[in-house]
Amino acid sequence: MATASSPQLTDEEIVVKTLQDKQFFGEIVDRYEAKLTRYIARLGVRNTEDQLDVLQEIFLKVYKNLNGFDRSLQFSSWIYRISHNEAISWYRKKNVRPEGHLIADSEELLGFLSAKEDAQDAQFDKTINAEQVNAALLKIESKYREVIVLRFFEHKEYEEISDILKIPIGSVGTLLHRGKKQLANELNSDAIRM
Amino acid sequence: MSTNMNDFNKNTDTKLKDTLFYRIEDENLQPRSRIFFKSRECVMWALWLMSILIGALAVAISVFVVLHHQYALYEATHTNFFTFLVDILPFVWLAVFVFMTYFALYNLRHTKHGYRYSMTTILCSSIVLSFALGSALQFFGLGYTIDSQLGKQMKMYMSQEKVEVKLWQQPESGRMVGVQVLDTVEPEKFIIFEDVSGNRWRIDVIELFPEDKALLADMRRVRLLGEVTDLKNKLFHACGVFSWVFNENTTRSDLSTSRQAFVDKMGQFKVQAENRLAEYEKQTFDSASATNTPPMSVCANIALAR
Repeated sequence: MATASSPQLTDEEIVVKTLQDKQFFGEIVDRYEAKLTRYIARLGVRNTEDQLDVLQEIFLKVYKNLNGFDRSLQFSSWIYRISHNEAISWYRKKNVRPEGHLIADSEELLGFLSAKEDAQDAQFDKTINAEQVNAALLKIESKYREVIVLRFFEHKEYEEISDILKIPIGSVGTLLHRGKKQLANELNSDAIRM
Repeated sequence: MSTNMNDFNKNTDTKLKDTLFYRIEDENLQPRSRIFFKSRECVMWALWLMSILIGALAVAISVFVVLHHQYALYEATHTNFFTFLVDILPFVWLAVFVFMTYFALYNLRHTKHGYRYSMTTILCSSIVLSFALGSALQFFGLGYTIDSQLGKQMKMYMSQEKVEVKLWQQPESGRMVGVQVLDTVEPEKFIIFEDVSGNRWRIDVIELFPEDKALLADMRRVRLLGEVTDLKNKLFHACGVFSWVFNENTTRSDLSTSRQAFVDKMGQFKVQAENRLAEYEKQTFDSASATNTPPMSVCANIALAR
């Protein structure tokens, strides 16, 4: 299937174009398929077939709701919001707990551990490896995990996280602060157990 | 993980896009119209506005109740102001207000940008709006109008007027609501009074003050305070007559005057009772033979009891 390739256009411009010619929708898929696959994997959709199903639903929902896209938001925030909701409803439907492999490589892990925010409240032992962080992340409450994933692994700003999760910006800060604290507790208690 | 993800992307890149376009064609999918989203947003705002308005009505009626009853003759109907408050507070409207505030919160949170405001901000703004609007509605007399209209239209609804009737139409407790319907051959001593339940009473008006008798003679609805002296023959000894203050033209000054009249009247009867007791004590002290209690007026007894 041939699609219009428009690398110079912004996401928002492509949305306008897609509403006139659906072939432009392929460009949206091209731009977000990899990002969203990683994101839903981090949220707990691990199986490749499941990922494909969820992605299909996400993109079809995006297509059907293009006219509902609020131009005052970033398109990426809007599509992440849809993805977040789809991933949540997927594991609710399947009645499973998220088993995301949150950290992909050592670079991400180092980035996460050296993040300045709330450093005074969450002092991590630098010898902790990715597996331990993954295990600890899966133990903390999902509302904290979701914010941590968006902030440290998807590198979203507070305002974007607020738009994606539909919560006030102030709550993003609070959740991150508490999330890191809870994570530090988990990591420290794991270290003690070891 | 990243290697696996790249493989996945390579394998599914065209597959996903093709599947999507296939499904769009096959299921004839179209983007929902802009009007759909606009209408949904409008509905949310309309529901929010509606909940604020209903909340404001609840506030208006509650304010009306509180303003009205702050001048109530609660000493005549209750042992203290607290028990009186429990009886008259419009709990249904307070519940409506709480529910509507929650509903307003829900609707505003579901508007396009509602999530950006904190729960506290939305909650406080909804409450402040409802109170401001409710007070304004009450200022224009809407609290009374809605309450009394609902009372007239709905049998089940306890308007404040019905509550007041319920509190005052209790002959056994010495309270009645009704109108004077007839004079007797001795109008200075007895009149015929019909209460709101349709019972006719012979009222002993001997202890009433002239202004009380004048109020009765107006043949308008009044509240009567006294004591049943013969239930079987429907005899009632009246001690005070108070105007019925439930209409839209009643001002706070009328209510205040009515309450002051009640307090004064009870005060006068109390002084009368105390004087009689003092006189009795003096007689007992002066003469060892004085054994009978001097006759105490019915109203003086009531004043002492309250």
